[in-house]
Amino acid sequence: MEAAIPYTTNENIALLALLAVLLPLVAGIGNALFLPKQSKLSAWVSTIAILISLALAVDVFARVWSQHTASIHLQYLWFTIGQTQIVAGVWLNNLSVLMLLLVCIIALPVHIYSMAYMKGDERYTRYFAYLSLFCFAMLGLVIVDNLILVYLFWELVGFASYLLIGFWFTRDKAVQANKKAFIMNRIGDVGLMIAIGIIYAMFHTFDLDLLFGRGNLAAQSHIQSGLWTTIGHYTINALGVPIASSSAGQLPAYCYYIMCAGIILAVAAKSAQFPLHTWLPDAMEGPTSVSALIHAATMVAAGIFLLGRVYPMFTPDVLTIIAAIGCFTAFMAATIALTQNDLKRILAYSTISQLGFMVMGMGVGAYSSSLFHLATHAFFKCLLFLSAGVIIHEMSHLKHKHHLDIDPQSILHMGGLRKLMPVTFITCSIAALALIGFPLTSGYLSKDGILIQAFEWSQDKSWAYIIIPIGALLTSLLTTFYIARLIFKVFFGQSRLRHIDANIEPEAHEGDWRLSVPMVMLAACSLFPLFSFNPLEYKHAWLVNGLGGVLDLESSYHILVPVVINGVGLLVIYLAYAVYVKQNVHWLKQKGLLFNLSFNQWYIDTFYNGVIVKLVLFIGKVLYWFDQHILDGFVNALAAIGIALSKVSAWFDRYIIDGILHLITDIVKQAGNFIRGFQTGRVQNYLFTMLFIILVVYVLKTFI
Amino acid sequence: MITLSNFLLIGAGLFCIGIYIILSKRNAIQILIGIELIINSAILNLVAFGKYDKVNNAGQAFALFGIVLAAAAVAVALAIILNVYRQYKTIDPSKVEKLKG
Repeated sequence: MEAAIPYTTNENIALLALLAVLLPLVAGIGNALFLPKQSKLSAWVSTIAILISLALAVDVFARVWSQHTASIHLQYLWFTIGQTQIVAGVWLNNLSVLMLLLVCIIALPVHIYSMAYMKGDERYTRYFAYLSLFCFAMLGLVIVDNLILVYLFWELVGFASYLLIGFWFTRDKAVQANKKAFIMNRIGDVGLMIAIGIIYAMFHTFDLDLLFGRGNLAAQSHIQSGLWTTIGHYTINALGVPIASSSAGQLPAYCYYIMCAGIILAVAAKSAQFPLHTWLPDAMEGPTSVSALIHAATMVAAGIFLLGRVYPMFTPDVLTIIAAIGCFTAFMAATIALTQNDLKRILAYSTISQLGFMVMGMGVGAYSSSLFHLATHAFFKCLLFLSAGVIIHEMSHLKHKHHLDIDPQSILHMGGLRKLMPVTFITCSIAALALIGFPLTSGYLSKDGILIQAFEWSQDKSWAYIIIPIGALLTSLLTTFYIARLIFKVFFGQSRLRHIDANIEPEAHEGDWRLSVPMVMLAACSLFPLFSFNPLEYKHAWLVNGLGGVLDLESSYHILVPVVINGVGLLVIYLAYAVYVKQNVHWLKQKGLLFNLSFNQWYIDTFYNGVIVKLVLFIGKVLYWFDQHILDGFVNALAAIGIALSKVSAWFDRYIIDGILHLITDIVKQAGNFIRGFQTGRVQNYLFTMLFIILVVYVLKTFI
Repeated sequence: MITLSNFLLIGAGLFCIGIYIILSKRNAIQILIGIELIINSAILNLVAFGKYDKVNNAGQAFALFGIVLAAAAVAVALAIILNVYRQYKTIDPSKVEKLKG
């Protein structure tokens, strides 16, 4: 198929993609350098940049995706270390153009939304500069062609995220949160760096195309009797044909497992998987629009994207571990989301849970379904966050109007917003249904894909493997409950503000068009037609087919899973309705072991703070003590010895060396004084002296 | 009989007296007198030794030169003493300590 695209066109497409990446950077730098602090223009600069990027991304996507298996690789020599040539370039295949398009599509409504959401903020321009920086980093991450650049952009998205989480840095919580996010991400970065190092040691290249694409080195390596062997190193010539350039490589097998652990660590940090997930809920301290873009739709998906990029590397054992991590994370986060009261925290845990789903999907071999879920999730989770932003905006408006002492993010004070904010209600409900996986939504297609493939994966394995799909199924039902709880608490019933003060007439309204248009746009994207014309069968989705499709196994799960999910799901929704709206079910008590476990987020943060943070601080203190007393003591002792020695030498200098000099001068002085006594200026004295000397000489001559 | 050693003894005595006067007196004129005594002792020696000279009366002639020189020296010395006196209002040599005028 590759011959179908002339070589020059390939280059043009790659350059278009590069332009799409660089535009937000230019906009960001322009905003940061040339515009005043609160410039309305900055929003337009960033938005237009991302709009053009979107147009370019659509163009690139249309040209690359239609070629099915084609991939475009454009690279230049970057630098040389010894014999090693490091190239930098752009590698476009279906995965990268999909991500390119997805990031642009999500970023555009978030930019528009931000214009209204951040209005009046005193660092308005800086916000858009950061947002553009993030878009640049994220777009760069998806199109670059080698691991060094991946690492670079991986760091850059983390940094942009750090800046935006701590955007309101005057709030102590925001500062704590961005520090936490940064440190957690550093742990993952170390993993990624180790993995890259090992990959390079093994394959002698950083090139993704060689490793995982057409060169296919990673898939051709194998582990046998304690050794990890690869058949040889390849380079690709101008025509795209791999040529063997060196002999086979070999490393001990444990290197392979360390490499996998490094990648899993990196994915866990960036995509908030257990045990490194705790930064994501705290990251909600950033502006809500940022949470929507970065911490729901794009950056956290970078981990999944990385898994997708290096997917051919993993052996089935490693994939099983990945699936287990994903499944556990999904389940744990869903249980936590059940009892949280902070609107954004619920959504954050929901995001962790859904990311767990994707990681699990990767683990069970549902590669394309997992990425499909990434795409659909990006839309509906972004939409949920944007809705949350509008709701929180209105709640804080009410808070200031009535001088209430409430947390505007707490769903305990909401309720009855359905009639006041109809657009938000409808869009939010669509997103919630997509999250549940209700038919006719995009979520149905992608989620069922993962679940069905998880069941098919466990089918021919031992019974223990069934835990993973069952866990996922259970998670799916928990998801249904918590999101139904959220919708019912926020939009249905009476406003709970009246419990505080009966006189309050809650009035809320939709924000201006810049808030609602992006939401409507994303709501449209959360429905099935964008992804598949057949609303019930995920295999027909163009996205799944474009990413390699799925194995066409005929199994009863294809009917069973959707029926169970939606049948039981409806019951769960009704249960939530009964509990939170009609309030006639009372057996769900807010106490007990399980409630506390969930409410306190499985005590993981408590554990981290109590054990790991304390341990690190303790080690720090020990090292500090060591530094203060041992090292400084040593240094001080050396200094004291030096001072003592110098004092001795100073004494020697003063009294011996100087003493000799002074003695000599004193002798000269005394001699001078003595001789001066003769020079009286009196002639008779001279004469007498002369006679005396002559006499002495005479006496001496005569008698001796 | 007056022998050579008598002359020499008198010459030595005059010399010693002259030296003593030079060293002990506080008056430049007296010192000048001391100097004259020393010169005269020398002249006396010249005359006394002249008897043993091969040339006749050479000692006496030398003595005449000495007397003339002594007279010239006295003249110069007195001139100096007068100038010193004019400068310092004294002719005590122990008080004349500076050569600068």
